[in-house]
Amino acid sequence: MLSLMVRRAGFSLFSLLVVSLILFVLTRSIPESPARIVLGDDVTDAQIAAFDAQYGLDRPIIVQYLAWLERLALHGDLGQSFTTRLHMNVEVAATLPVTLELVTIAFIVAFLVSLTLGTLSAVFRDGPIDYAARLLAVLGVSIPGFWLALVLVLAFAVERDWFPPGGFVPLSEGLEAHLMSIALPVFCLSVFYMAVLTRMTRSALLDVLGQDYMRTARASGLSRLRVLRYALRNALVPVVTIAGVSFGHMFGLALIIERVFNIGGMSRALLTAIQQRDYALVQAVVMVFTIIFVVANLVADLVNAWLNPKLATS
Amino acid sequence: MELSRRTALGAGLGAFSGAWAREAGAQAGTTLTVALPTTPTSCDPINPPDHDWMIACQMVFENLVEYDIDGVLRPQLAKALPTISADKLTYAFELREGVRFHNGKILDSEDVKYSFEYMLNPANRAARGPTFSRLSHVEVDSPTRLRVILKEPFSPWMTFLTKFMGIWPKGSREELGEDHFRRRPTGVGTGPGLFEEWRPNDFISFRKNPNYWTPGKPAWDRLVVRQVPEDAARVAYLLSGQADIISVPPPRDFPRLRTRRGIQGGSRPTLGGWSFIAMNNARPPFDDLNFRLAMAHAIDRRTINERIYHGMVETAAVPAPASSWWFNPEANAKLDYNLDKARDYLARSKYPNGASFELACASVPYLLDSRDAAIFLQSELAKLNIEVKLRMAEQSVLSPALSRGELDALIGNFMSPGEATYMIMVYLTAGQFMSRSSNYANPRLEALMRAAFAENEDEKMKPILAEMQMLLADESPFLWLGFFSAANLWRDRVRNFKVSQGQTVTVRDVSLG
Repeated sequence: MLSLMVRRAGFSLFSLLVVSLILFVLTRSIPESPARIVLGDDVTDAQIAAFDAQYGLDRPIIVQYLAWLERLALHGDLGQSFTTRLHMNVEVAATLPVTLELVTIAFIVAFLVSLTLGTLSAVFRDGPIDYAARLLAVLGVSIPGFWLALVLVLAFAVERDWFPPGGFVPLSEGLEAHLMSIALPVFCLSVFYMAVLTRMTRSALLDVLGQDYMRTARASGLSRLRVLRYALRNALVPVVTIAGVSFGHMFGLALIIERVFNIGGMSRALLTAIQQRDYALVQAVVMVFTIIFVVANLVADLVNAWLNPKLATS
Repeated sequence: MELSRRTALGAGLGAFSGAWAREAGAQAGTTLTVALPTTPTSCDPINPPDHDWMIACQMVFENLVEYDIDGVLRPQLAKALPTISADKLTYAFELREGVRFHNGKILDSEDVKYSFEYMLNPANRAARGPTFSRLSHVEVDSPTRLRVILKEPFSPWMTFLTKFMGIWPKGSREELGEDHFRRRPTGVGTGPGLFEEWRPNDFISFRKNPNYWTPGKPAWDRLVVRQVPEDAARVAYLLSGQADIISVPPPRDFPRLRTRRGIQGGSRPTLGGWSFIAMNNARPPFDDLNFRLAMAHAIDRRTINERIYHGMVETAAVPAPASSWWFNPEANAKLDYNLDKARDYLARSKYPNGASFELACASVPYLLDSRDAAIFLQSELAKLNIEVKLRMAEQSVLSPALSRGELDALIGNFMSPGEATYMIMVYLTAGQFMSRSSNYANPRLEALMRAAFAENEDEKMKPILAEMQMLLADESPFLWLGFFSAANLWRDRVRNFKVSQGQTVTVRDVSLG
């Protein structure tokens, strides 16, 4: 297990290094000097040169990259925004918890609901529960998130005053208001992944339940519940893998959901940074998303190794 | 197109719901909430954000005079409009007495002098500093009397103050630093709102200034200006009572929304909102006068404005709003839609067999969506064998490229302070930050501009501006489609609100029922 952890962590680190290099080079390749963004369109060449010297932009790109990497790795320093002049750690600290909370709750909801529905669907195969769960899964996969979000806002915020139409109320301003403000966004975020994971759980469980060793277990007189518990542990391996990827993907969907629900999270910050040509902030946000994505996959791999110890030794 | 579909869905489905009108819930009381689509970048009036977010600057900072929502110049921190010397170089002001900054300090002439000196100092990089470059200095006669001295006559300078300037306490810039003015301008203005909080990507809020120099104003206790970029979400905020006023309503849905129970709406042509096609006169095919005139006659402005902009643009072929006092109908009539004339001019041009050019257009709309208009133009000009290659990019990419003269042409909507000369000066005369967008130079236009700057009365300025429009119709360095409208929707409980012809939502006089 330790060997697997070391190998996976090493691979994750390597992935992060490659992504960070690509990200840095892409960001620096944009043919627009940050000086022009900060100092205005009427800036002179001399002013651009002075600006570049001040911020080290006149150095070779590999030197810039290594300096940036050193600050990030050793000090967790994401740098300073050229546009707002704010330290990006401050920006990320203000917006990441919002997005992380939405995505984490949506992920937990999606995972728990899909596990329950998928299991029921497999156990009661071709029964009413199975049909209902499959129908819900098809709907969940088919309905675009932004459409669902708009309809929910219309139905439950505009027509009925059950939820606010948007905005994020911090927990410090009251639990009820906080939960009300995240209820619809969390639901919209989770629906698609709920559907995907339900289908995956059902099909993986059916596959495992059809294996010879499951038949043997049942023939040996094990209770139905116990057999299901063993089957579920085996069936969860692909589900956990997909769940790990889904957690990262949810940050992508959050781009749309935060916009529709007008939530000032990290996805909104990314869109704003793109519109304002704040390339340094774009780089910081994408890097943070990448780290989350890689860590989520690492955790999924480790959970899988725990579920199926053979994976740890293979 | 996805955005408009979503907008249509959000507003369209709601149209059938029949439940639009519900009294405000979460924002009840005397908190006024305004929802805007764009992102604020600064509260500092010398480096203002877009025209929507100038509301943040104007809540805190005020000027000697203001260019009000009807385009009328009125005294603000000055007791009255200034006395102007015969040579039009000295403007003498007397300040209101007892006006206090938010930090309690009494406003005096030294603060005004200090503020102007700061803005005029190139080292402080005021974005519109060059606009005020004809101002020389300020002389203080007494704590309440001062004179602004100009290097040369420049009558429109006072109309630019509201958008690009403010008065702050002497010494405050050095004491508090640039970031204080940009991000948390507490204690440094005289305006109706006291800065309270800026929550990035969410809102900026203000509290009522209890010591405001106009008794009884503002009539609200708190103002929250929210950033709501999505059209449908902004409409939902209004309909659910989470916002009292919204800016830039979706044009397609605006007529329907404004007639809903509980909702009011209004639109007015802006005085400086150019809806236009910028053409680089140094690049082919726009280097040929006859080609430009062919273009001018080939554009069906009325169809574009009525069918594509849904009536949100007031048609004008010259750089003057049809409803303004300086509009010249004779010049406007010169550029009628007439394909025969267009073909005739094209035949006389260097490009009798047609031509090809790249037309840039903002991929994410700013102020008004021009993408459909660009596509319509592409098909219309094809009738003259003129090939239009569309180039879509972010406005933030296009604007610098335009200012550097890197574009053939651009269709778009740009906003100015709302008087007659600013946009012409910036785009079509030399030495301005947008001069290279047109690369147009005409000594007669420069002379007319100087003549206009030397006049302070509308009646005397009118014939000069009329001749200017006639000249620009003859030369057609740019093509004007019209002047876009400012539009707002607001809830019934909002009283005394009026759409501003300057685009920026103005809420100082608003009260809540």
